[in-house]
Amino acid sequence: MNELINKVTKLLNDKTIDAFIGYGQGSTDRVRAIFARTVEQASKLIYTPACTFNLSGYLLKHEVKHLGKLGILANVAALRSIMQLASEFQIKDGEVYILFVNDDASLTEFSDFQSIEAFLEKANIDITPDEKARIEKIEAMSVSERWEFWNKEFEKCIKCYACRAACPMCYCHRCTTDVNQPQWIPVASHERGNLDYHLMRAMHLAGRCINCGECANACPMDIPLNLLTYQLIDPIKTGFGATAGMKADAVYALSTFKPDDKENFII
Amino acid sequence: MSRIGVFVCHCGENISATVNCEKVAQISKELKGVEFSTDYKYMCSDPGQTMLKEAIKEHKLDGVVVAACSPRMHEPTFRKACSEAGLNPYLCEMSNIREHCSWVHPKDDLTTEKAEDLVRVMVEKVKKNKALNSIKVPVTKTALVIGGGVAGIQAALDIANCGHKVVMVEKQPSIGGHMSQLSETFPTLDCSQCILTPRMVEIAQHPNITLYTYAEVEKVDGFIGNFKITVRKKSKSLDEHLCTGCGLCTTKCPQKKIPNEFERGLGFRPAIYVPFPQAVPNKPVIDRENCTYYIKGKCKVCEIVCPTKAIRFDQEDELVEIEAGAIVLATGFDVLKSDFFPEYGYGKYKDVIDGLQFERLASASGPTMGEIRRPSDGQIPKKIVFVACAGSRDPAKGIEYCSKICCMYTAKHAMLYKHKVHDGTPYVFYMDIRAGGKMYEEFVRRAIVEDETQYIRGRVSTIYEKNGKLIVKGADTLMGAEPVEIEADMVVLATAGVANHGAEALAQTVHVSYDAYKFFAEAHPKLKPVETNTAGIFLAGACQAPKDIPESVAAASGAAVKVAALFSNDELTREPLIAVVNRQAPPVFSSCVGCFLCQSVCPYQAIEREEIKNRNGEVIKTLAKVNEGLCQGCGTCVALCRTKAIDIHGYSNQQVYTEVMALLND
Ligand SMILES: Cc1cc2nc3c(=O)[nH]c(=O)nc-3n(C[C@H](O)[C@H](O)[C@H](O)COP(=O)(O)OP(=O)(O)OC[C@H]3O[C@@H](n4cnc5c(N)ncnc54)[C@H](O)[C@@H]3O)c2cc1C
Ligand code: SF4
Ligand code: SF4
Ligand code: SF4
Repeated sequence: MNELINKVTKLLNDKTIDAFIGYGQGSTDRVRAIFARTVEQASKLIYTPACTFNLSGYLLKHEVKHLGKLGILANVAALRSIMQLASEFQIKDGEVYILFVNDDASLTEFSDFQSIEAFLEKANIDITPDEKARIEKIEAMSVSERWEFWNKEFEKCIKCYACRAACPMCYCHRCTTDVNQPQWIPVASHERGNLDYHLMRAMHLAGRCINCGECANACPMDIPLNLLTYQLIDPIKTGFGATAGMKADAVYALSTFKPDDKENFII
Repeated sequence: MSRIGVFVCHCGENISATVNCEKVAQISKELKGVEFSTDYKYMCSDPGQTMLKEAIKEHKLDGVVVAACSPRMHEPTFRKACSEAGLNPYLCEMSNIREHCSWVHPKDDLTTEKAEDLVRVMVEKVKKNKALNSIKVPVTKTALVIGGGVAGIQAALDIANCGHKVVMVEKQPSIGGHMSQLSETFPTLDCSQCILTPRMVEIAQHPNITLYTYAEVEKVDGFIGNFKITVRKKSKSLDEHLCTGCGLCTTKCPQKKIPNEFERGLGFRPAIYVPFPQAVPNKPVIDRENCTYYIKGKCKVCEIVCPTKAIRFDQEDELVEIEAGAIVLATGFDVLKSDFFPEYGYGKYKDVIDGLQFERLASASGPTMGEIRRPSDGQIPKKIVFVACAGSRDPAKGIEYCSKICCMYTAKHAMLYKHKVHDGTPYVFYMDIRAGGKMYEEFVRRAIVEDETQYIRGRVSTIYEKNGKLIVKGADTLMGAEPVEIEADMVVLATAGVANHGAEALAQTVHVSYDAYKFFAEAHPKLKPVETNTAGIFLAGACQAPKDIPESVAAASGAAVKVAALFSNDELTREPLIAVVNRQAPPVFSSCVGCFLCQSVCPYQAIEREEIKNRNGEVIKTLAKVNEGLCQGCGTCVALCRTKAIDIHGYSNQQVYTEVMALLND
């Protein structure tokens, strides 16, 4: 922890960065994100086992971007988000100063995207066994059971859009949900509209979701909506050989055509 | 409030036989925003159009729906009529109540109801239509012709003779292509070189044509009317201005045993060489891979003997930038070599040759001075077997198509053989004889009747060597599949015509599509045979599929006319039905977030990046922008854009959504 604080202090002092996105103690016993712009604020940085959430979502937020040059404490999910965002031209190489805490509490700083790619090749990027088991359960359902399962889940949605705000890939200034000419997604949260929203969300994250789970964490209604996007990870990997958030210059699997692409999903 | 006019057409009886057109017109009049509606027997006829124009003026219509046939047929007609009546043509839409309704349903109330629905949907759409203006793009009146075979030559000359500039890029040291290798040509048996070389010379001398040989296209950017092409001129190790083409160097080069490509390996050439005597340009190139100097660092004999000191050992490749308004692809085809066939000895029998090799043997300028002598020992073969469909029409070999030219040139070969070896017997194994074409069937008959060629219907299963003879085993399927065995002195395989080596890579460089066999794909097999799916790029000759000379030349002239038509105006007018990425006032500029997924998905490379700068010139945003010249309005980007920043003029999300809602909210 001290090493982290010292490092960030130094980075702020020598003006390498203007602000650092890290973890800090929340008002309750929860951990929250803090944006350290001064040495004094940097001294409040913490790194505990509770510091697991993906901070990268803040990188593109208008308010944060305007703080100047940013540094961030990234975990594996955040590194993958950064790679995915890079492949979508949202972050340039060298634009963000990236620190990572190793298992032995030492710090790694990633000087460029290439080193992140090399690191991710060896990192564990799988979904958790628990998530896996839940997906298997869903996939074992018949089509109508699955339909019912999701409809039941989505019925609970209050359209607060917390999931959208938490997702690092949801960076559009104007989300489809906000478009009203035409009104693609009904504003009110009724069954039909909720379903529209969640299907649209899943489609927009197909092949882009880096399985950080922030969407489900953010959901006040405990909808396991991360499972829907996770379910798309495998088909895209087996169908097109692509995994999101692994390479900064990846081309989106669903926007490219190769003559040898499988077409077995066409029914 | 809209003032829309609805015009329901009977199309003679085509529509009115199953749809109650009067009723459709009546019901439509009740729709909100419809000011006028009528029905008529033939809306597309002169009186029909006049009726439409007058109604626009009289009722001050601000939108028109013509309920008739498919917009593919008459949309231009009605849009033009609207425009003549002072209404923006893009405020006119068609409701397809013929193909989508009357033709596919029986006479029934429901059919009429469906027609009403289709009209209602279009009325709602037209309310959302915006006046659009056609797009003007400047045209660079220079054509790039890639490939200098007979097709490329024909296209280049036709375009140049229309007064336009042409740049021809040929990969080999000389133009001429396969035709320059042929001896005589079917169906007239005139000498191939004699009819081709005057055209080759014309290319070299034409004031409007710039010829780059030993060159390849490396990059193509831009779009119809405005292509930017980078051509790599490979180094010939020669100053072409100084070289007089005397050929002294080629006689003195110590490397004399390099297999001659032009003779298809049946002869040799030196390292500094001119591919054939009538080559255009008639100037040598040094084949660096086989030149003693480039291999060992010593020699330079050619430099010493050259009277004009034209040899340049240190010459480098040159990159030339070309601006062109149109591109003609004429890169031709290739034929399989005998080594493709395990059953015919994998190319290990010297006297099993392919058709092109036979052409060289029969050619007066060839390695045997036109005498038919077999490669192994120079003997004149007394029994010769021609195998048609070698590889073609053979799914097991991955070539399911008919190569089309082989039946004819095999008949020609048999004839040429008989004309040269009077006591010889030519045999032809064939599957079917395909001789469709002017004087083609007569030609084959001549080979059979006058020149006594033995045609055997059946496939050759194996060929092997025995005591200096080639044993050809097959079956005669017209004799109840009776086995046939011929002891031949020589075998000629009419090997399948295939796409040129590198065709796929070239297609990707030039951005045109190709078929499963890697031949370039035409935009429509019947109605757009010389166009590609990429506007401004055309096809000529055998790069599209195996073709004979008459067909290649005809296609080339067709492509040339398309180019000339394109060049007939200084500006190109395009339909404005293209995608646009929205723009808004600062500081937002656009709802596009610059993820550029649209860029990778666009099949026409129409998405560009636009940098938005602040007053100090710093880039604050990079946004997608649609190139109006390249966009074909396919809509793929629209489907992919998550933030709905892209839309298509004429088929906007709003318009399509409205149509769907109009149907649902019935
Ligand atoms: C054995 C045989 C006998 C035949 N006999 C007859 C006959 O008697 N009568 C008849 O009508 N037809 C005959 N044909 C068919 C005839 O050869 C073709 O119709 C004709 O050659 C097609 O012309 P082309 O210009 O389309 O292609 P090609 O002749 O193949 O010319 C293509 C040209 O493009 C060049 N090129 C290729 N790739 C590139 C590149 N990437 N960049 C630049 N240049 C490139 C090549 O070097 C070549 O010069 C015969 C064919 C064969 C194989
Ligand atoms: S969809 Fe959920 S899990 Fe996937 S990247 Fe977004 S927040 Fe993370
Ligand atoms: S350098 Fe020698 S080998 Fe090379 S082309 Fe000249 S004469 Fe031939
Ligand atoms: S897909 Fe949409 S948001 Fe992304 S760059 Fe293209 S226009 Fe912009």
